[in-house]
Parts: sequence; structure tokens; C-alpha cells
Amino acid sequence: MRYKVLILRILLAAAIIGAWQLASGRLVEAIFISSPVEVAKRLVEIFRSGEIFVHLNATVTAVVQGYISGALVGVALGFATGRSPTLSQTIEPFLMAFYSIPKMALAPLFVIWLGIGLASKVAIVFLSVFFLTFFNTYAGVKGVGEDLINLARIMRASRRTVLFKVILPAAMPSIILGLKMGLPYGIIGAFVGEFIASNKGIGYYILYSSSVFDSTGVFAGVLTLLALVVLANWGLGRLEARLVRWRPVEGTGIAI
Amino acid sequence: MGDGEPVIRFDRVGVRFRAPGGGVTEALRDITLDVQANEFVCIVGPSGCGKTTLLRLCTGLIRPSSGTLTYKGQPVSGINTDAGFVTQESNLYPWRTLLENVEFPLENIGLGKEARRGEAHRLLELMGLAGFEHHYPYQLSGGMQKRGAIARTMVYDPDVILMDEPFGPLDAQTRMILQHELLKLWSRKRKTIVFITHDLVEAIALADRVILMTQRPGMLKDVFEITLPRPRNVFEIHSQPGFAELYARIWEHFKVEMKIDMKVE
Repeated sequence: MRYKVLILRILLAAAIIGAWQLASGRLVEAIFISSPVEVAKRLVEIFRSGEIFVHLNATVTAVVQGYISGALVGVALGFATGRSPTLSQTIEPFLMAFYSIPKMALAPLFVIWLGIGLASKVAIVFLSVFFLTFFNTYAGVKGVGEDLINLARIMRASRRTVLFKVILPAAMPSIILGLKMGLPYGIIGAFVGEFIASNKGIGYYILYSSSVFDSTGVFAGVLTLLALVVLANWGLGRLEARLVRWRPVEGTGIAI
Repeated sequence: MGDGEPVIRFDRVGVRFRAPGGGVTEALRDITLDVQANEFVCIVGPSGCGKTTLLRLCTGLIRPSSGTLTYKGQPVSGINTDAGFVTQESNLYPWRTLLENVEFPLENIGLGKEARRGEAHRLLELMGLAGFEHHYPYQLSGGMQKRGAIARTMVYDPDVILMDEPFGPLDAQTRMILQHELLKLWSRKRKTIVFITHDLVEAIALADRVILMTQRPGMLKDVFEITLPRPRNVFEIHSQPGFAELYARIWEHFKVEMKIDMKVE
């Protein structure tokens, strides 16, 4: 069953790439859609020459710095807010208002404040990641069953034990969900920052390529970005599997 | 049974909650009740009568609005860590294996790893869960989860156990088996048990005394001594001499509290 799906997926990918290759220069002019062969050649070229690494490095640095700081602050603040009714009631309307603003609309402001360098990209990533991790952590901590906590206290658990051995693991699936959702938004954030104003980064590379009508370059940049997202997702998936082993995996049950 | 100081003493205890609409809901009124050491007390009553509130008072999770509640001679203030508590849902920690769940209370009293493991294994064996130590709760049936929850409470050996409809969500057969095992444990270890149920048969099968509560605001309506000889056979409790009379006598009072029209067309 698994093999069947895998084979079908490979076939689908091959069909898409094949259709692209066939259409290029026949149905649509190559200058618009390039072709898989051209894109592959370009990828080899930019990786061999090292040209792409400047851009990759800029994007990855912004994403990593913004993501880690945003996630840390988001989880910590979400946790604290989830545990404190006063705090949550105080800041809830503000957060709701902020939440409904598309964060990308604020991106130009960050460029104005922090310049076109790394700092503004980090700030945009931070903001995107912060809100998603904050809200998911907050919801997760709020949703921990009161009886799980009550029972722990009755079983002589200290405050510390309740926090770290009951509330934290109970909220972990939500926290992980926030971390997972935050990742693509973080990458988009860096990307948008680079689109608005920058002189390096994958976003810049794509923008520059399109401005000189180099569709091959655009595709090469998009594929590089895609690889980055896939890699980061895989890493988070591994983390999730380690942290929430106890959850039923789809399709498993007691019976074999 | 029951000489000396009661383990739990309710003295004209009342509980009122602030209702969402702004009014006040009176959950319990004027409860006066003594639970003696080694006694098995069942509390029955129609749903919404405040049975759970009564039990939660003993855990310290709720404070009385009026009257006093003393536990082993001391007024209950703050969480009562002396008595074990078994909730309606098993509430095993889903991120811990069965063994780790049973170890949890032992971690809190600072027992070393080896000792914890040993004790937890012993209890799981006693509850018929040997071989399932490394399963996560989602991999266990409802009955097994319930046994696990009881093992987790028994493992630190509290001499008072408060049980809130622990067998409520289970099917009839599993229920009887667990009732049987609970009685065995109780007679072997002589614990004081306060057990909430809405099932009169269960109450008669288990208890020394059945306490009947009224519709809300919950008050004590009547107390019935269950004189059926022990050890009791819960599987054939219906055919025990004396059961039918007891049941009929308590039911007479119980059904009044249900306040519905019981006429059959």
C-alpha cells in the first residue's frame, strides 16, 4: 500500500516535469517558463560557482534568528499567559487586534525602522513566528484538563512538577503545532522582507532574476527555497516524533 | 466498625456557587455526616444533586461556603494530599506509559527509580495489568485505563480513597469485575472509601452504608446500613437474601427525588 502511493507520487512528479519540458518552447515560449533542463543546469551552476550561497546564507540567517527568538518568546509568553487569568484577560483584546492585522502589512515599517539589512528581516520573521507560537501555546496551556492538574496536586506534586511534568507535556501537541505553522510563515516573512528592500537573499535573487526576465533564475530560486522549507519541515517532524511519541498515529490501534 | 474519631466529619456544610447569570446556585445544604475509619460509604442521588461537590470538598479542591469539614481531626485547608482521588474519567497522563503513570505519585514523594519501578510493577500485577507496562493510555481499553488509575492511587497507599463514579463509563461486565476487585483490595488493605455512584445496585453491592442525597440543593435524605454479609459476590448480588428488600426500601426514597412521572402507559 505504501509502495503503491510512493510509486504514484513519483509518476505524478515525472508527469509534471515531463509536461513542463514538453511545453517549453513548443506551447509557451521558453523565456516565460524556462524548462526543467535549463533550471537544473542553472542550479548546478549557481551552486558550483557559490553565487547562491550569499543569498541562501542571508535568508537562512534571517529565518533562523527570527524563528528561534520568535518561538522562544512566543512559547514562554503563551505559557505564562495561559497560566495567569489576570494576564490573559488584560492582554487578550490587544492580541486579538494584533492577530487580525496581516503581519506582512507591517513589513515596510520594519524596513523603515531597521534598514534594508538583516535586522528588518529578522524582525519580520520574529513577528510572524511569535504570534503563531504564542497563540497555539496559549490555547494549549488553557486547554489542559483541570483534573489532570488537580490529580497531580492531590498526588503531592510540587508547583514545579505540575508545570513541567503535567502542563508542559499536555500542551506539547499545541506548542508543536504552533512551531510547525510558524515555520512557513517565518520563511515567507523573510522572503517578503527581501522582496521589499534588500541586496541579498533568496527573495532578492528571485526578484532580481524576474526583473531581468530571467525565468530560469526565478525557478532556480524558487526551487532552492522549496528545498529549504522541506528540509526545515523534516527537522521539525523529527522533533515532533521525539516529543509526542505518546499520541496515536493514524491507522494504529490495539488490534493488529 | 466506627469507633473513635471519624476520618471525615461534615458539620452543617453548605456550598454555594456564583451562577453564570449573576445569581447564586446552592449545591449543598446543611450536610452533617461522619465517615469512620475502614468504612466503605457510598453516596447516591439523582444527577445534579451535588454528589461530586461533596467528594471534591474532601479533596480540598472546593471550600465549604458554610459549616466546617474536618479530616482526621483537622479542618481541610488547601489540597488534601492525604487521601487518594479517583475521578470518573481515568485521567491517566497520556504522555506517560502505564508504568510511568503509576510511578508518578512515587516520584513526588522522592522515591528512587529502582524502588519506584518495583512498586509500580507490583501494583500493575495486582490490578491484572502485567504485560501492559509500556503501553500508552490510548493503547488500552477503558477498563484497563481504569485499573491503571486505581493502581496509580493504590501505589502510594493512601488510607482514605475518594472515588467519583469511577466505574460510570464502563460496560456492565467490566464494571462488575472491577467492583469485585475493589472489594478484594478493600478487604485486604482495610481502607476508608467514599464512593460516589448513581447506581443503586452498585452502592448496595459495595457499601457498609448508603447515603442518599436529595435533588439540588443536595441534602442528606437518608442513611441506610447495608447488612449483607461479606465477602460479597457482586456477580450474584441480586440473588443475595436481603438484597431485594434493601433495594426496594432505598428505591422508595430514591425515586421520589427523581421528580419525574414514572407511570407506565
